[in-house]
Amino acid sequence: MTENKFDVLWQRAEAEGYSKRLAKEYPIWRQKQRRTLSVVAALLIVATLAVSLYTMQARQPQDYEKVYCNRVGTTDAQWAALAAEMLME
Amino acid sequence: MMKRLLIILMLLLPIVAMAQSSLYKSYASRQDLTVAQVSGFKLDERERVDVVIVVADNDAAWQQLAKELNIRGEEGTVSWLGDLQKPAQRVKWTKAPVLRVVASPARRTIAFYHLNTEAQYDALLDYQLNNMKQEK
Repeated sequence: MTENKFDVLWQRAEAEGYSKRLAKEYPIWRQKQRRTLSVVAALLIVATLAVSLYTMQARQPQDYEKVYCNRVGTTDAQWAALAAEMLME
Repeated sequence: MMKRLLIILMLLLPIVAMAQSSLYKSYASRQDLTVAQVSGFKLDERERVDVVIVVADNDAAWQQLAKELNIRGEEGTVSWLGDLQKPAQRVKWTKAPVLRVVASPARRTIAFYHLNTEAQYDALLDYQLNNMKQEK
């Protein structure tokens, strides 16, 4: 049985409620599947942490952290400058 | 195992995705307004605040905005502490979270500064005073 075939079988077993039995009958395939899922999940977590650390580092020296706008045409720095200017009005 | 990892991942996602405020969302969908949210606007080395800036694209949009926020036409730049849920409502500082609202008819612009703590309130005042001194 190939890995793909086992995945299809596993999905059907989960839907029909006999996944525990399948895991017992094909323990090696189940372990393989779990290992693959764990690796994917670990990679996702590492990627998320990397992006989060990069964002935190990048925003530290700035006068603002993030700018959202409903239109294009004005830069983030210009919005931050306007926020400062409004306090001087 | 997989479920646990997914839960951890979901808990981590908000760190990356900084949320837009409800105030921003309430104005952003309007066609005649340009709206920006400056998150983490730096007041000093310790304090940062979120600022929502609303710019009316034309006079009609400004008139509507001014009406909603009880700004009289003849007034110059006005500033008040506004209720978090109803910014038009003028409130006094009670150490509860508020909005410092600054409205400039000349610019057709309103800025809302989210003040959640006393430290932010003080830092905003210091920021204004320090910059005014520098201008003089």
